[in-house]
Amino acid sequence: MAEVLGTFEQAVLLAIVRLRDAAYGRAILQEVEKRLTREVAAGAVHATLERLENKGLVRSQLGSGTAIRAGRPRRYYQLEPSGLSALNDAREVMEELWRGLTWPLKGYV
Amino acid sequence: MKIDNSPPTWAEALLRAFLKPDVFASVSGDLLEQYRDSILSARGNYGADAWYVKQVLGFVLRASRLWAALFAGAFVARTALDWLLPTTDFHLRSMVSTVLGTGILLMAGFWVAWRSGSFAAGVAIGIAITAVAAVYSLGGNLILLAIWHDPGTMAAINGSGGLEEALLLPAFLILPGLVFGGIAGVLSGVARRLIPTR
Repeated sequence: MAEVLGTFEQAVLLAIVRLRDAAYGRAILQEVEKRLTREVAAGAVHATLERLENKGLVRSQLGSGTAIRAGRPRRYYQLEPSGLSALNDAREVMEELWRGLTWPLKGYV
Repeated sequence: MKIDNSPPTWAEALLRAFLKPDVFASVSGDLLEQYRDSILSARGNYGADAWYVKQVLGFVLRASRLWAALFAGAFVARTALDWLLPTTDFHLRSMVSTVLGTGILLMAGFWVAWRSGSFAAGVAIGIAITAVAAVYSLGGNLILLAIWHDPGTMAAINGSGGLEEALLLPAFLILPGLVFGGIAGVLSGVARRLIPTR
């Protein structure tokens, strides 16, 4: 059984999937904000990335800096195979929960 | 009018105090890039500075909230003990709660200063813990009061320093937070010199 993911963890992991080679902190933050359609704290994304890395679901490496960042390096993230499994499992669980129901739900209350 | 494309230096210094040097480099780079590339043009200098400070405070809150919960838990537990099991001799209780509170501040200050390699981190975490704990403690003590406010408990409250002390004292612990956080920062600096790190 793969790691059980929370919604925000899924949002961060899916941002890494979408961004591929360009998945660094700020880009992930922007992608998560875009998908969740709300402002997200940089600290929340950073804490989640750190937790996912500690769980072995992602790995990271430092890249080069740019002038706008005052030369400070970007940290790029990549999915580990266990991260991919966890995402696939999360999707499977969600589909199973919704199987047989029509979205959006109507008439149940 | 302020014309600048850099965030407040004090906020950046605070962020530096809370993060490991390599983590600070990438995180502060991300914040700076977002600040200059998106936020500044959308919100102007002061709005962008406010955004940056909010982001940094988010990191500070995340680093301090567990310790603050422990600190506030100790304070609320002591309050509950005084209110529900009244005594006339507070010496032992005071000693235990003082040692507990001081221990939490020293441990947190040492850990954060050690992790970041910065004395200032000890000071900053001490202040952050006591400030956040003051809010938690106020909430906790108000809940206690909402549950137990019968005449017997009210007499015990008055006999143990009064309601004002229970509600306001946590806010006055920010100064000890600064002092003990600073001591922990110094101890961490000494330990780093004595114990080689990778």
